[in-house]
Formats: sequence, C-alpha cells, structure tokens
Amino acid sequence: MESVVKLLGLQISVGLSSLRKFWQCFIGFLFPPETDTWLAVLRSGLGLQVILYALFLRSDWHYLFASSGKGLVGREVGEAITAFDSPLIPTFGRLVAFGRNINMSEEAVLTVAWVCLLSAGCLLLLGLLCRPAAIVAWFVHICAAESGGLLAYGADNFMTTALFYLILSPLPDHYSFDHWVTKTKPKNPLLLGFWRRVLQVHLCFVYFIGGVAKCLGAGWWDGSNLWRSLIRSPFNLVPPDFLVQFKYALPLLGISICLLEVSYPIFIWIKKTRLVWLVCILAMHAAIGLMMGLYLFALVMIVMNLAAFGVPISGRRAQATSATAEQ
Amino acid sequence: MYSKRVHAAWFGIHFFLVTAVCLAGVFWLIAQGSTILPAVCNEYAHKAQLGATWCLGKEAGASNPVRKGIATYLHAAGIQAGYSFFAPNVPSQHRLRLELLYEDGRVEYESPHVRGKTAALRLESLLTRLSEERYEPVREVLVKMLAFSVWREHPDVKKVRATFGAVNSPGIDEFERGKTETFQPMFTFDFSLRNDQ
Repeated sequence: MESVVKLLGLQISVGLSSLRKFWQCFIGFLFPPETDTWLAVLRSGLGLQVILYALFLRSDWHYLFASSGKGLVGREVGEAITAFDSPLIPTFGRLVAFGRNINMSEEAVLTVAWVCLLSAGCLLLLGLLCRPAAIVAWFVHICAAESGGLLAYGADNFMTTALFYLILSPLPDHYSFDHWVTKTKPKNPLLLGFWRRVLQVHLCFVYFIGGVAKCLGAGWWDGSNLWRSLIRSPFNLVPPDFLVQFKYALPLLGISICLLEVSYPIFIWIKKTRLVWLVCILAMHAAIGLMMGLYLFALVMIVMNLAAFGVPISGRRAQATSATAEQ
Repeated sequence: MYSKRVHAAWFGIHFFLVTAVCLAGVFWLIAQGSTILPAVCNEYAHKAQLGATWCLGKEAGASNPVRKGIATYLHAAGIQAGYSFFAPNVPSQHRLRLELLYEDGRVEYESPHVRGKTAALRLESLLTRLSEERYEPVREVLVKMLAFSVWREHPDVKKVRATFGAVNSPGIDEFERGKTETFQPMFTFDFSLRNDQ
C-alpha cells in the first residue's frame, strides 16, 4: 500500500514538473526580449494607413456615413445590426447624438471625425502623442467600420485589429517624436516581445484559416478563382485579354497561394525559410494591391507582416537593454 | 511574474476567441455545401459550427451580458469575422439596375454610384451582402435606400424599378471563344415615389 502511494506521489510530481516545464516554455515563447524597432514600423505604417484611408474616403465620407435620406444607404441599418450584437460598440450615430446636445449638425460631426482621423494618422506617422493618437484613430475608425458595417470589407477588420494592438503595445518607441521630446525610459523588452508575439500569432491564424478555406474551393486548384477575382468589377484593373496570355500559369499561382498561406504558420518561424515566406507573402499582397486596386488592404497586411516578421528578431541586444533597464 | 500571468491569460482568452470565430467561419462554409468536401460532411460541419458559435456566446439570449461582452470585445479588437476572403470560391458579382420611369414616359437606366474607387469597393461589398440569405430581412429596405440615393439626382422620376441580379462572368475558355458576361435577375422591386418624399 505504501509503495502504491509512493508511486502515485512520484507520478504526480513528474506530471507537475513537466507541467511546470511546459508553462516555462510557454512563458519563454510569449515573452522573448525585443527592441522597439518593430513597434516603430507598426506605428508609422499604421499612421500612413490611416492617412490614406481618410484621404481615399474624403470625397465620399459624408455620403457613406450620413443618415437615411442624405447618403448612399444611411448608416441606421448598419448601426442597428451592430447594436443588436452589442449596444456598447461606438458608432457615428452616437457621436451625432452627442453633437446635437452641443448644437453641432450631423455634417459638422462627420467633418470633425474625419479631421480627427486624418490628424491622428499624421501624429502616428510622426510619433507625436503616440498613444492618444492611436486611441483616436482606433475610435474614429471603429465608428466608421461599424456605422458603415454593410459597406465594410476585409481591410477594415485588419485596421481595427492592428490599431487595437498598437494601443495596447508599450508606446512610444525610441524612433518617435515623443521619445525625442520627453526622453522616456526604454520600455520593458519582455513586454515589447509579448506584443510582437501577439501580432505574429495573429498573422499565423489569418493565413492558416485563409489558406484552409481556399484549399476547400475547387476554383483555387484550377486557377478559375484567380481569373474570376481579376476580371470582376471593380477589381478588373488588368485587361482580360492580357490575363489570357497567362492562362496556364493561373492554376499554378492559385495552388501556390493556397500552399503559401496554409504553410505560413510553419515556415515563417523557421529561420532559414522566414525570408522566403515573408517575401512571397509581401509580393502576394503587393500584387493584390496593384492588380485589384485593394490598396488599403494590401498596405495594412504589408505593414503587419513587416512589423511581425520583417524586422530582425534581436534577442541578445534586447536582453542587454533589459538588464540596463532593470538596473 | 504576476504581470506575465495576466498577459498570458489574456493571450489565451484572446486567441481562444479568434480560433472560435475562424472555425465558425470555416465550418459555416462547409455546412453550406460550397466546398469540395463530400456532402456527408455538411451536417457534422453544421454541428461543429454551432459548437464554435456557442463558445462565442451566440447561443445565449440576445440580452445575455456574457454574449454582449464577448461581442463588444470581438468588435473592438476587429476579430468578429473570420479570414476566409474569396474562399472557398470567389463570390459572384452582383449588380443593381435601376429603371427610372418619368411621367412623360421616358425611361432611363442607372446604378447606385459613389465618387471614389475605395468607396466603390464598399458599394460592391454591400451588393455582395444583399445576395446573401442572412440579409434577406433588410434587403428591400437597402434596395429602396439605394434607389432613393439615385432618385435624389433625378427628382422628376415618378417610379423606379430596381432589379438586383448576379453577373455571370465567362470562364477563361469561354472568354477566348468570345463569350461576354450575362446578367441574371434575382429579384425586382417597384418603388412609387410620393411627392412628399
């Protein structure tokens, strides 16, 4: 009986020890020491993204987000669908209601929102008032994305996610104006590493799920999906007569995209293959942007990829900085 | 160490939600029967989709605070939708054709339009959504609003007939044989515009 209890105790301690090892490995994976170069790439890239988003929508801003009877479809239906999910999600409707209390017209509120978005983008690009700028950019963008929910597309979700991560990351980075002006202390390299890991893991989800979903469609294996996506309006920037010349390359390209995306979570982590996968993914997004006119989608994906895997991982240098910071 | 544990817990919860949203999206595609998987998988996929959406609290009552809390977080983080863009297949293109009938019997054809290219992508996104079954309850209202946006530019129009349909693009071989795209109407709405509108 005593030996059985001893054996059981031994097994429990072995189990606990391997659990502790796993936990330490997991914590080690989550908190690699990092410099803030990747954060500078994310911040300035998103600043540029927000500026372009505001400028591209400048002529249609009021038309897309005005209330019923003034705009394209009116924002009320989109806002009602959002409110059904949760009444706490910010929308332009709430801002307009708030503006009415201080005698501001709907047009004025929408104009102020647009100006705030553009200004936040410029501030992010320069690195001035980084966190408030990131919060304003995220808030106005989420209002636009939710009020125009029926008009939203993939780029909107990625922008919200990237701005959400930027807000939570340890800003400002040492390339920003904020750092130059206030001479802030170096940020905790482990926290910098953690937020970079979050971005990296998120991208792995994005490509793996996107790749699996594409693999399930017959059209990606015979190239017909590529053909259909490139000739349908408003993505048809390349004349179909030109595309026909590459008829036999389309199936190969379709399969390559599927494999590239599905295998991203594996090969992007391996040092030897990282650069190849990164370059291929960046080339894919650049091609989507240039050939289909999805410039904002392409830019946000390029910025996220560059911040996550483009900036070399600098463990030792960051560890040294960490030691200095702790001293 | 406490901070690390808090961050690790957030990481776990956050990516659990991302996984649930992504899986719900993929299982939905399979359940719709739009993938290359055999039809026998559809029922299992539907069950798996329900499991994934349960994790997101969507099976709870509309006023359930957990459901609302999760939904708010998902929207705030931009992770409320999966990442199956243009998958498993590229959706058909859709078009809304508006027949503007004037009092003097004249007929003109128009489509809803925007100024910028980026906004045009958004309009295209809306038209794609209109064809989906889940938007059926708001379809007529949205088509009416789109028709109204065009009517504002033509105030002397008496009646608008809105025809929504799919644009069937030719395959690459069909294109080489000279076939062009065809318009297949899906539904039509007639709107009589009152003077007081």
